[in-house]
Amino acid sequence: MSTLFDFNGAPSSGWSQPAPIREDPLSGIPSSTRRATLPRWPRASEPELVRHYTLLSQRNFGIDTGFYPLGSCTMKHNPRLNERIVQMPGIDRIHPLQPDHQVQGLLSIYYEMQEMLAICAGMDAVTLQPVAGAQGEFTAIRCIQEFHKSNDQANRNKVIVPDSAHGTNPASASMCGYDIIEIPSGQDGRIDLDALKSAVGDDTAAMMITNPSTLGVFEKDIAEAARIVHEAGGQMYYDGANFNAILGKTDPGRMGFDAVHYNLHKTFSQPHGGGGPGSGPIGVKSHLSEFLPSPLAARRERNENDPLGVDDGYWYFWEEPDSTIGKVQQWNGNAGAVVRAWAFYRRYGHELERMSEHAVLNANYLRHKITKHTENGNQAAAFTEGAPASVVKHEFTLNMTPLKEQSGVTAKDVAKRLLDYGYMAPTLYFPQIVPECLMFEPTETESKEVLDKFAIDFLEILSEDADTLKTAPHTTFVKRVDEVLAARQLILTYPFE
Amino acid sequence: MDQLPNLGRELEMLSEMGLKSMEELFEDIPEDVRRTDPLPLRGPQSEEGILADAHRLLGANIHLDSRPSFLSAGLARNFVPSMVPMLATRGEFLTSYTPYQPEVSQGMLQAMWEFQTMISELVALPVANVSMYDASTAAAEAITCAVRVRSKRAEQPNTVYVSEKVPPHRMSVIRNYTQGVGIKLVQIPHTSAGLLDLEAASKAKGSCAVYVEQPNAFGIIDEGLMRLRGIIGDSTSLIVGVDAVSLGVLEAPGNWGADIVVGEGQPFGIGPTGGGPIYGIFACTKDYLRLMPGRIVGQSKDSDGRIAYTLTLSTREQHIRRHRATSNICSNETLIALMGAMHMALLGPEGLEQLAMRAAAAAQQTMETVLGIDGVELLFPASPIFREFAIQLPISSEVALERMDRLGVTGGFDLSRWWGTTNNALLIGCDERTSMYDIRKLSESLEKAIEEGSH
Repeated sequence: MSTLFDFNGAPSSGWSQPAPIREDPLSGIPSSTRRATLPRWPRASEPELVRHYTLLSQRNFGIDTGFYPLGSCTMKHNPRLNERIVQMPGIDRIHPLQPDHQVQGLLSIYYEMQEMLAICAGMDAVTLQPVAGAQGEFTAIRCIQEFHKSNDQANRNKVIVPDSAHGTNPASASMCGYDIIEIPSGQDGRIDLDALKSAVGDDTAAMMITNPSTLGVFEKDIAEAARIVHEAGGQMYYDGANFNAILGKTDPGRMGFDAVHYNLHKTFSQPHGGGGPGSGPIGVKSHLSEFLPSPLAARRERNENDPLGVDDGYWYFWEEPDSTIGKVQQWNGNAGAVVRAWAFYRRYGHELERMSEHAVLNANYLRHKITKHTENGNQAAAFTEGAPASVVKHEFTLNMTPLKEQSGVTAKDVAKRLLDYGYMAPTLYFPQIVPECLMFEPTETESKEVLDKFAIDFLEILSEDADTLKTAPHTTFVKRVDEVLAARQLILTYPFE
Repeated sequence: MDQLPNLGRELEMLSEMGLKSMEELFEDIPEDVRRTDPLPLRGPQSEEGILADAHRLLGANIHLDSRPSFLSAGLARNFVPSMVPMLATRGEFLTSYTPYQPEVSQGMLQAMWEFQTMISELVALPVANVSMYDASTAAAEAITCAVRVRSKRAEQPNTVYVSEKVPPHRMSVIRNYTQGVGIKLVQIPHTSAGLLDLEAASKAKGSCAVYVEQPNAFGIIDEGLMRLRGIIGDSTSLIVGVDAVSLGVLEAPGNWGADIVVGEGQPFGIGPTGGGPIYGIFACTKDYLRLMPGRIVGQSKDSDGRIAYTLTLSTREQHIRRHRATSNICSNETLIALMGAMHMALLGPEGLEQLAMRAAAAAQQTMETVLGIDGVELLFPASPIFREFAIQLPISSEVALERMDRLGVTGGFDLSRWWGTTNNALLIGCDERTSMYDIRKLSESLEKAIEEGSH
């Protein structure tokens, strides 16, 4: 289709705005600093652009258009109420430097979310400032780094991560200056305690791990792992990417963790928006709380002289933690995402547990439908399970190596064929410890009928001829895209000339 | 609780799996870490109830559009065209993930490729990514990126020179992002006119990078920055933080030697939103392409030879390179960048220029008006400004702001919150929507605040 740069109407023919409030708007600006030529932006009217972006949207797949079983990404439904709320001027038109008395409502929502998240994870204090999961990891590792420094243990320079960890874990620790020690997982995908024992020492700063693991399996030895790391003087960091599986059933505090990040864009339904925005608050135990980024929302009982505020008996204010690491985002985090997550939380309240139950129910149900309902030998022989487990948590993996050996069809080919059937592909080739990996996470917001139909379609695909799969997709707006060519020709902007 | 399609059908699904209860699905959690008591949280609410509470709580905030407001300090009150939120919240955009499957993500991919083009044109550099979290993380990651590119051959390895008047919150982000990897930050002083001390800046020659802002934290257009390239030489990266709107009238840093341009994209696309989600701009020359942070979209072809778009150069990124990645960034601010693209496209080149002229005109008008008040002086009288300016008051700016607030005016930003040496200084920010009425109200309330005296 055409691009924006094909729109080239007359200058100023497009969207209109008022004139400057004085005749000589640039009287104070030295001519030597003036721009010589304007950027080559399109010249288009609203009707043209509404159509352009509508057509683009129709070439994009979202949860709203179909089942999105993208493992580790928790692609659940995004309630529309939340979008309605963030359009209110009481959040859209708020500046983070406004004085406390002007933002009592927002502060009270921050406070409520800090408290709620702390309870859900068994932590003592929460900051909502990090704006993505990876930034949450980075922030927590920074706090742990300052904790060690304050105990004269700055020599602790190593962070341990399992080989099944999300790539952001080692990348975040590395940005803090840590050396990474990767330990292998056991054959069942679980943590290898012997490998952990030999990895820890007086140079261990922290271990970063997610539970359930990226294979969707609960780490039964997690408390023992925490004991080993703590005994060596290290801190335990919980990657909250898979928190949707366990809310209300257990929490990282009980498992022995000192710090955790939450993904409000996974567990609490902030829309993923094609890659962001996210929100990655962190929770910590009390010994780390003085290092949290500044500011945090705090409250005291309301005095007679205070304005009414939100009329709940409290006065809210921003507060700086004693030994704060400062800022990781320039303001107070993605407040819009926090407000959406607040609206999501309010739907469930103490019933958040039901959300996790249904996420796990759906994952196990889909796994059962795919692995136990194979009608002929070909289908069953096409894959093995990524991890042997009687039950999984919110996601599961399949190893498609047998299919590849039989017919040369790869996990990627299967994923591409799923697009023809109107599904988003599962996560591909992750975790890397499972060869030819497909990783499925249905989430709690899919109906039984959708799961039934998906299982049937998936198994049907495995019976199709190899050529159909290797050249898939066939019915999408474009066919298989050449990623090597993109990296070779590097056309990263519109070629005007 | 109305978000669960299988509520009430649990037993049917469980029995197909040969299970009897939901508890069996969680039996793999060892008893010693299992939670047995319910979460001590409030009860569930209906959509209606939540909306009522949202109105009550968010309605208790005093929002910027409800009164004359001159609070900016790097985050703009703006006007976002109606089309923008309506189109960007179409479910196909809103509820999609990072476009790992390009065949069904051409819409967002093309929109981001167009976004990259518009950012590239705006700053006059050939490469742009699809967004950073905000202006501060963009600046911080520009610095770490420049060090990766320059450090091996630099006379001052791992050393970066930074203007001493970078706002403290941004400086704090920069410190957090650079401390662990051993980057030494050296401050470049400013002159008494609020300008970068170019003689001091010459010491940066041979270091990895210099970071400056145009306009700077006081709103000043610092003409001297346009000579920095010649002063620091070709082997030191020049990183410039910009007010994106200003580039409608100010020369693009790419045309005066910048290697990397960063800045806050928020004026295009979204309101200040309590500080986020907003998005950072990151653009650079081709020398930085393979070591830069963030996602990049490239044009390619499909197997039928049709033009198609896909994420490219992913080998820089954490999901491939793990601890050797150029950044840990994964989720970014794509949807907000999409809103920015829509806004930029609606403006067009002349619309951008007009937007910048409106902000500049408002600032000139406001400045001239408040300078008519007894006792009000410019902090840096000789230096030109774009849309913000700093004034010196005869009373504390904190007290002045409180008094103006009681008169229904949000008067600006108390600069002593950033720098203790600027006790009575007030930073007044204007934007395209600043009206003659707003300016009159500001002026009246400031005059009254000053008349009340210094206690």
